[in-house]
Amino acid sequence: MAGLELLSDQGYRLDGRRAAELRKVQARMGVFAQADGSAYIEQGNTRALAVVYGPHEVRGSRSKTLHDRAVINCQYSMATFSTAERKRRPHGDRKSSEMSLHLKQTFEAAVLTQLYPRSQIDIYVKILQSDGGNYSACVNAATLALVDAGIPMRDYVCACTAGFVEDTPLADLCHAEESGGGTTLALALLPRSENIALVQMDARLHQDHLDALMEAAMMACKGLSKVLDSVVRQHLQEVSVLTRE
Amino acid sequence: MIKTEKVLHLKSSRGGKVRVVREHYVREQVECGSWLCEAGCVSDGKLLSGDVTHYVVPDAGVVRDFLEVLEFRELQGIVFTQTACQAAHHARGRRHYNRLRALLKDPRHDCILFANEFQQYSYCPREKGETQEKWHTRCVYHAAVWYYNHLAGLRPVVMITEDEDAIKEYGSQNSGVYVISTQEYLESFWPDLQAARELYASIAQALQERESEGAEKEYTEHLPAEVLEAGIKSGRYIQGTLSVNKHRAQHEAFVRFEGSSNKNTELNSDILISGGKHRNRAIHGDVVAVELLPHSEWKGRTTALTEGQGEERAGEDTQSQPMPTGRVVGIVQRNWRDYVVTFPPREELKSQSRNSQKILVIPWDYRIPKIRISTQQAEALQDHRVIVRVDSWDSTSLYPNGHTVRVLGKAGELEAEIQTILVENCIHVPPFSEAQLREMPVNSKEQPWQMGPAEVSSRRDLRDTHLVFSIDPLGCEDVDDTLSVCTLPGGKRLELGVHIADVTHFVKEGSLTDLEARSRATTYYLADRRYDMLPAVLSADLCSLLGGVDRYAMSVLWELDVETLALCNVWYGRTLIRSSYQLHYELAQSLLNGEEVEVPELSQLKSSDKSQKLAELLQALETLTRVARLLRAQRDKVGALELEGVEVRAQLDKDKNIAALVPKQPLEVHETVAECMIYANHWVARKIQESFPHQALLRHHPPPRQEFFNQLIDSAKSRGFMIDTRSNKALAESLDWAVDPQDALVNKLLRMMATQAMSNALYFSTGACPEEQYYHYGLALDRYTHFTSPIRRYADIIVHRLLMAAIQSEKDEYLHKTLASNKELDELAQHINNKNRAAQHAQKQSTELFQCLYFRDKDPLMDERCVADAIIYAIRANGMLVFLPRYGMKGAVYLKNRDSQVISVGDDGKCKWQVGTLQRYPDRISTFTAIGTHTFHLFDHVTVRISVEPSRCHADSMHLELISNKPHRAARAESHPAGHGQSELVQEVVRREEKASLQAEEQKARRPKLSREEREFRQSKTPNLYSLLQEISELALLDLSVCHLPNTEAQTCSTSA
Repeated sequence: MAGLELLSDQGYRLDGRRAAELRKVQARMGVFAQADGSAYIEQGNTRALAVVYGPHEVRGSRSKTLHDRAVINCQYSMATFSTAERKRRPHGDRKSSEMSLHLKQTFEAAVLTQLYPRSQIDIYVKILQSDGGNYSACVNAATLALVDAGIPMRDYVCACTAGFVEDTPLADLCHAEESGGGTTLALALLPRSENIALVQMDARLHQDHLDALMEAAMMACKGLSKVLDSVVRQHLQEVSVLTRE
Repeated sequence: MIKTEKVLHLKSSRGGKVRVVREHYVREQVECGSWLCEAGCVSDGKLLSGDVTHYVVPDAGVVRDFLEVLEFRELQGIVFTQTACQAAHHARGRRHYNRLRALLKDPRHDCILFANEFQQYSYCPREKGETQEKWHTRCVYHAAVWYYNHLAGLRPVVMITEDEDAIKEYGSQNSGVYVISTQEYLESFWPDLQAARELYASIAQALQERESEGAEKEYTEHLPAEVLEAGIKSGRYIQGTLSVNKHRAQHEAFVRFEGSSNKNTELNSDILISGGKHRNRAIHGDVVAVELLPHSEWKGRTTALTEGQGEERAGEDTQSQPMPTGRVVGIVQRNWRDYVVTFPPREELKSQSRNSQKILVIPWDYRIPKIRISTQQAEALQDHRVIVRVDSWDSTSLYPNGHTVRVLGKAGELEAEIQTILVENCIHVPPFSEAQLREMPVNSKEQPWQMGPAEVSSRRDLRDTHLVFSIDPLGCEDVDDTLSVCTLPGGKRLELGVHIADVTHFVKEGSLTDLEARSRATTYYLADRRYDMLPAVLSADLCSLLGGVDRYAMSVLWELDVETLALCNVWYGRTLIRSSYQLHYELAQSLLNGEEVEVPELSQLKSSDKSQKLAELLQALETLTRVARLLRAQRDKVGALELEGVEVRAQLDKDKNIAALVPKQPLEVHETVAECMIYANHWVARKIQESFPHQALLRHHPPPRQEFFNQLIDSAKSRGFMIDTRSNKALAESLDWAVDPQDALVNKLLRMMATQAMSNALYFSTGACPEEQYYHYGLALDRYTHFTSPIRRYADIIVHRLLMAAIQSEKDEYLHKTLASNKELDELAQHINNKNRAAQHAQKQSTELFQCLYFRDKDPLMDERCVADAIIYAIRANGMLVFLPRYGMKGAVYLKNRDSQVISVGDDGKCKWQVGTLQRYPDRISTFTAIGTHTFHLFDHVTVRISVEPSRCHADSMHLELISNKPHRAARAESHPAGHGQSELVQEVVRREEKASLQAEEQKARRPKLSREEREFRQSKTPNLYSLLQEISELALLDLSVCHLPNTEAQTCSTSA
C-alpha cells in the first residue's frame, strides 16, 4: 500500500482527529482489591493496567536498600495478545527492560521517595492492547495507581507523545502515526510546575522545530492532567460515598 | 467527537493477513467548503462558488478512472468525497493521488474535498458481507445526500457513477440528489464540452480493452514494493533513474544512481540496460530498481554514430570497454507524462487492424516505446499529432496501453509542431484567463493608471533628485532595469543606483496572476514567438520602466568613495522613479566616444539647455563606465570566466521588421550594464542570505568535474594549446591564450567545449545546501541570485519578496507574513530549474524545427544555400561532429555508410564513396581506399551539403554530407556573421507558413476557425526583437542549453533590460 497520508490537506489525521486533539481517554482506579493501588486506563485503543505494591521492606537482596529514600521498582510487560500479531515474549526483552528503566526514572522524579527510607515501591504495568503511546499510557496508569495506593507525589505525572509531520506537531500519536516514519517525542510532565520528569526522542528533528514540538507535547500533557484529575476526584467521591454508608 | 472503530484487514510484513483495529473519530462540524453554506462552517481554504446550477459528486470509480475528465477547468462545482479520494489513492497509487491533490489546491479549479468520513451523519460503517465497491458507493451517496441537506437544498446535487446498480438503487431515493452515469452527465450538463466527452470515450475504451486482455507473458513480473525496498536497502538492488539512449532507443538504456547510498563502491559509472527484456517495461524517466548481471554478461556501450533507428549492426569492434550491466526488477516510481504521438497512415492501419481496434502509435520522442491505443477514430487521426497518456503496461503485453487526450494537428504543420514541442517539454501556456486579467490594474487612454497616494508617501522619491536612465537594445518594450549615478553633496562619495521594476507591487503573493506566473516560472522564447510570464499590461506597460513616466521601483543604492571606489554603504528599498533617458546601447556608446549624436529626449530643447543636459548625462555615463571597469577587474582577479558568444544586432525598419543583421561591435557599454546588474544581484543575494540564512533563494554554479574537461584538453592539445582546468581562474587564462591566429573559430569552439563540460547554474534554497556550495563558479562570486528581471523570471519575483521581508524585519522587528519554509522554497527552486531547462529545450527544438522547415523545400543539389563551410570539432568511430558557422548548427558527418563504403578524397578535393576502411585516432580519423589515404584532423575546415531527412513520427533531422575537404569558398567570402542565416531562415519559414495558411483560409473559407486556433495557441505572432535576440544568443557558438555562464548571465541582463 502506498504510504499513508498522516495529515490531510484539510488538517485531519488518519483517524479523523485534528492535529492537537487527543484520543479518547477513559480510566478507572482501584480495580484490584489485593494490591495497594491499581488503575486501568484506555487512551484510544491503547489499554494499560498498573498495579502498585508498597511501600514495603526491601525484598530480595538487602544491598539495594537506600538509607535515605525508597527504592522504586518498575516492571513493564506487554500481553501476548496486545498487538496485531501474537507476541512471542511478553516481558524481559530489550524493549521492555528499557521501558521499565524509563518508568523507574520517571517516578523517581515524581514520588516523594525520601519519606520512605529503606523501603521499596513496586510498580507493575501491563499493556493489554497496544496502539501507540505505550509509554504514556503506562505512566498515566501508574500515576493513578500510585494515587490509589496513597503514595505522596509532587504532582500528577502526565505523559503524552507528540510527533512532527509536514511542519505540524501532532499530539498523542496512534500506532499508524508512530510507525509512519516521523519523529516521535515522549514527554512526562509534572503539569503544575511544568517540570519535566522525562523526555525522550529517538529520531532526528531540526532544532528550529523542537520548541513547537515540546509545546504541543506539553499542551497534550496538561489536557491529560485534567482528565486524570477528574478521574481521581470521581473515584474519591465514589469511595467516600461508600465509606460513609 | 464520537469514537467508533474501524476494522481493517491488512497484510503483514511476512505476508499473512492481519486484523487491525483503527480508531475512527467522527464529529458534527466538518466544513463543507461551499460559498452557499449557511450553517456557519468555518473554512479558511478554498470555497466552491455559488454561481453554478448544481454540485457534482463523483463516485470512487469515477475518481479512480476518469480523473482526467474532471480536470477540465470548465467543469465547476465538483465535490470530491474523502471516500472517493482514498479509494483512488489506494487503487492507483500516490502519483494519481498527488495529481488529485494538486487539483484540489489549484484555486483556478472549482472543486473541494469534503471529509465525509469524519462527518457524524454522513459516515456509514461497512456492513457485514458488503463488497468494498458497494460500500464506497454507499458512502459517496450518503455524503451527497448530506451535502444537499446541509445546503438546505439550495442547489441540486448530482452524483456521477459508473455503477449501473447504484443508479437503479439510489436514483429515485431522494429528490434533489440525482444519480446518473458519467456519460449521461457530460452529455446533458455540458453539451458544449466536446473535448471532455471525447476524452471520456477514449478512456472508457482503453479500460474496456484492458479487461479483455489475454494472458501470455511478455515480461517478467515486477517485484512487489516491499521486496524492492528491502533489496535497495540491503544493496542487492540499485535504485536509479532510467535514461534511454536517444540514438539507440530499442537497445540501450542507462541507469543513473541517486545519491551515494549504494554500497558497491566498484560501481562508479552508470549501469547499462541492454535490450527490451532487461528493461522490463520501464520507460525513460522512471525510477527503477536494477539487479546487476554477472560479470560474464557485461557489455560495452556503442560508440559509433548511427543513422536513424534502422541500423542494428552493433558489431563487436564498435563497442567500448564492458561496463556494469543489469536488468530492471521493479519500478519504484513511474514518471509518465503526456506524450505526443503520430498515428500511422492508412496502409499500416490495415495491417494492424486485424487485432481488434488497437493501434500502435509512435511517440515523437525516440526514447519512448510505441504505445497501444484503442480508438475508433484511427482513420480520421492518421498523420496527426495527438497527445496520449499511458495507462498501464502489463507483463502480458509487448507495448504499454494508452488513451488519446487531445489532437494537436497534422504532422508537418508549423502550429502542430510547435505545440508538440511545448507538450513534449511539459510547458503549459494557456492564454491568461479573464479572472486573471481582472486582477490587473487598468491603463488605457480613458482611464490612465495613477499612483496611489499611500504608495507615494511610503516610498523614497527619486523622481527629482536622481538622474535615472536605462540602456537597452533598440526598440525594447519591457524595460526592467534602470541605472543612476551621481556625486553626493560634499564631493567625497559617489552614489550608484540600480532600479528594478517593482513587479511584486502588482503581483500579490497568492493571487491568480502569481500562481500562473509561478507555474510558468519564466517567459518562453521560441524561434518565432514568445509566451509571456505576466500579462502584457504589466510586462510592457505598468512594470516597464519607460522614459518620462512615473514608475514604482525596487532600488539598490551604493555609496562609493569617489577616488578609490571602495564601498561605504548600501541601501535597499522601494522607490519612485522617472526615467529621464531611454537610451540604447549604440547611442550610449557613441556618447561615450564623444561623437555628435542626437538624443531623442533632448531634441526639443533649446541648445543651451541641451548642452547642459547632455553634459550631465555624459558625466553619468563616464562615471558608470569607470565603476563597471573596476568591478569587472575585481571579479577577473578571482577568476570570472568569459565564454564569448557571437552577438548580433538587429536593425529594424519603420514597421519593426528586421531589415538586416549586422555584427555587433563588442561595445563596452554592454559590459558596463551587465556588470552593474551582476553587482546588484550579488548584493541582494548577500542581503537576503544574511536576513534569512535558511530560506533565501540564491543561484549557484557548482564547479565542474575535472574528467569532463578531458575532451577539451585533448582537442586543445592537437592544436598545441595547453588548457589548465584546475580552477576557474586558470581556465579563463588558458582559454585566453588558446588563440589560433589563422582561425578565430578554434578559440570559440574550445570555449564551447569548456561550456559543455560545465554543469548548469541552478537556483536553490539556502537551507538546502551547505554554505561552501553557494559559490558561483562562472561569475566567481560567493553569493549570487537573480534580482534584475522580475518581468520575465519568477525567481526574481521571489527574491524581491524576500528582499522586502528583509527590509521590513529590520524596520519593525517582526514579519507581517510568514515566509516560505526552506522545504517549500527548495521545491519551488527545483520547479523553476525544471521549467528553465524545459524552456531552453523548447527553444532549441523550435530552432531546429525552423532549420528543417527552411531546408525542406530546397534542393540540396541545386541550391547554393545548402552548401556550407563546416569545422570539425569531435571525432567518432565512423564519422565526425562538425559545426556550421553560417547557420550556427552542429551535426554529424558520416565517413562510412551502410554498405561499408567510406569517403575517399580525390585530387581536386571532391569526396566519393568507395570501398575501404576507417581508422580512428584521438585527434584525427583516416580513410583508406583504393584511391589513397586521407586524414581528417580536428579543427579542419570542410564543405558539407545540407539536406533534410524527413521523418513522419519524429522531428525532421538534418543530414550533412561531406562533399569536399576544402573550406567552402563562397561561405568564407560572404563573411556573414553567425546567426544571419538563421534569422533569415526563421523569417522565411514564418512567411511561407503564413502564406500557406492564408491560402488555406481563402480556399476553404474557414477563417473564423483558424483565427480562433491562432488566438488559442499564440500570444505574440510577429517575430519581435526580443525573441530574436534571445534566439540569436542561443544560436551563437555558446550553447545555452548546456550551460548558463557569466556571459550568458550578463548577456541576458543586457538584452532583456
